Amino acid sequence: MSSHLKSNKTGWFFILPVAVLLACFLLYPIIYSLYLTLTSTKGIVTNFVGLSNYTKMFHDPMFYKALSNTFIILLVQVPIMLILAITFASMLNNKDIKFRGFFRTALFLPSVTSLIAYAILFKMMFSFDGLVNQGLLAFHFIQTPIQWMNNPGTAMFVLIFAMIWRWTGYNMIFYLSAMQNISSDLYEAASIDGASRKISFFKITLPLLKPMILFTTVMSTIGTLQLFDEPMNFAAGGTTASMVGPDNCFLTLSVYIYNLCFKYSPRFGYASTISYAILVIVAILSFAQFRVSEDSEAKLERKARRNK
Amino acid sequence: MKKLVSIMLTAALIAVPAFASGSKETPATPVAEQGTTASPVTIWSWDPNFNIPIMQSAIDNYKMENPDVNFNIVEMSKADCEQKLNTILASGSKKGLPDIVLIEDYNAQKYLNSYPGKFAELTNEFDYNTFIDNKTSYGIVDGKNYSVPFDSGVAGFFYRPSMLKMAGIAPADLENITWDQFCDLAAQYKEKTGNYFFANSKSDGGLLRIMLQSNGDWYFNEDGSVNIKNNDSLANAMRIYKRFETEDLCYPTTGWTDWVGAINDGKVASITSGCWIIGSIKAGTDQSGDWALAPVPRLSEEGTNASNLGGSSWYVINESANKDAAINFMKAEYGADNSFYQEILTNNGAIGSYKPSYTGSAYTTGDSFFGGQKVYADLANYAQKIPSINVGQYTYEADAAVMGNMQSYYDGTDLTKVLESMNAQLTNQIQ
Repeated sequence: MSSHLKSNKTGWFFILPVAVLLACFLLYPIIYSLYLTLTSTKGIVTNFVGLSNYTKMFHDPMFYKALSNTFIILLVQVPIMLILAITFASMLNNKDIKFRGFFRTALFLPSVTSLIAYAILFKMMFSFDGLVNQGLLAFHFIQTPIQWMNNPGTAMFVLIFAMIWRWTGYNMIFYLSAMQNISSDLYEAASIDGASRKISFFKITLPLLKPMILFTTVMSTIGTLQLFDEPMNFAAGGTTASMVGPDNCFLTLSVYIYNLCFKYSPRFGYASTISYAILVIVAILSFAQFRVSEDSEAKLERKARRNK
Repeated sequence: MKKLVSIMLTAALIAVPAFASGSKETPATPVAEQGTTASPVTIWSWDPNFNIPIMQSAIDNYKMENPDVNFNIVEMSKADCEQKLNTILASGSKKGLPDIVLIEDYNAQKYLNSYPGKFAELTNEFDYNTFIDNKTSYGIVDGKNYSVPFDSGVAGFFYRPSMLKMAGIAPADLENITWDQFCDLAAQYKEKTGNYFFANSKSDGGLLRIMLQSNGDWYFNEDGSVNIKNNDSLANAMRIYKRFETEDLCYPTTGWTDWVGAINDGKVASITSGCWIIGSIKAGTDQSGDWALAPVPRLSEEGTNASNLGGSSWYVINESANKDAAINFMKAEYGADNSFYQEILTNNGAIGSYKPSYTGSAYTTGDSFFGGQKVYADLANYAQKIPSINVGQYTYEADAAVMGNMQSYYDGTDLTKVLESMNAQLTNQIQ
């Protein structure tokens, strides 16, 4: 018993530095920002206001604008991107395909480009006299150039398109590595039983990819809710202005937090309140995703526990 | 085991605030004797083509008389500068701050109100009557002056005479016009040449602010209350913006690069903006001699043909170790040195806010890029006619609220409704 306690003590001694660091740089900021949500701050002029930041948030049209922009991106971009990623991964997992290495690299390459560089490139391509308009004009698809970045709908399309280009390859690599872990025996057995390629994709590949699909969905959801670089760069460059795209269509929650802290009169309290809103949303969504993707066994287990 | 964890966590939690409070700064080093500084006077500034070389010439001038004072200009992007200033001031730390910092005029009230006591009061240090009125007003809180007024954002209507000639428009047609006449000219130009008269982004509020200030109006009243719902100038300016869109009068751009590119590539025949745009106009060296300047259009008959966009001023940090040295330096150069102002106009195209400098040689000489027109004398003349307004501390909140609702106005929503939702959004934002 005493030796057990002693070894325990040694163990705690070794993790002490990390524990202290975590407490300083993780726990303290989290708790302090929770305290900030209860204050009305304007720079260093701070007042304790209780929950009024929260009530204010629920009446803030800018917050709802940011929330709806974020969710549009989440609901459109993430499914398209993940379906494309699975499709590419299963195509590239096919051993008969030639130049597999080349295609894999080509598809993965966008995700090593700098976030800022690619955002600026897309913005240039879709500008009024940019590559896209010139191409469409040259092939007579359109008569007059489209103002891609000046209308909320098309601007959002460009943002989502750019993000799909940037992030599909990144997710594809996850699927590809998971697919390579699926034993080829399974496919062999299935084909002996007369299963078509299609059937084995839906009955073998997809079910076995489930943990990876869950992982990528959760990561993409969190990533989208924290989306900052792309909309910020798409919106940058107004003449002494603070608009975030036409009709504020690039205003995501993170961009709004940034603006509250650094662009507008610095209100760290209200900004913290919104970051806590993101936290709650992420928690709910992740929980829901775990529930949805739960396999039947765990579901039964949970039911049995509840019925006890 | 579990207990131990909770003990550890509690201990850590107790320890952290102790660390936090334990890291209080030691009092700032005593202020150095006048004229000499222990550490260099640190200056934060953001434009390597404009305000940094200007500050450098101020330093060079000052060092001829005061060789003992050392300076250090730190260059960073404008966004970084604002972020850094914000975070350090908010943290309460006295370390890491510069002695002198450049702040955009639209932002000045925000910093002065959010960080009271952090900026040095300069009311008795400068004779503020020597600076143009509308410029000093940005740096006043509770009747006290904090700013060292620097570059003016006086607005001008810059155009290409040769291009307008093709549409049968003479320079005289552009003098002292209204924005409605401007729209008519733009339509005429487009009809005759097939090209656009000017470039604008329909979600950028720059021109809108030029229009508002020329009418002596703003998003806020003098007392700082929101002035949107019943603001006739704003309604009028919005109507003009809608004309730009519905009549397809402007070359649509999405940002600075695009916008400046439109003039440098000769896609448009004019640009209306703050005088700091001259540097970018002159970047199109092949267009030398084919530019001219007219006063900005006015919004209504009661309005003036003079306005402002942007501009910035210097501020001294109150708790800095070199406060006195910094103030003495600013007084000697920005508050008195006429030849310095001539120098920065000639070298950097900077129009200061120091009135005595406007009669200097640099102002009264013609500029060959503008076909020999004395553009700087003209701009200095406009600068003194700009209506003074109280921009308040919420310019960017207002800009986001107003421009964020413009799309629904373009799409046909009733004007009163749009103004009401702008008003509601802004009121909620600044509570």
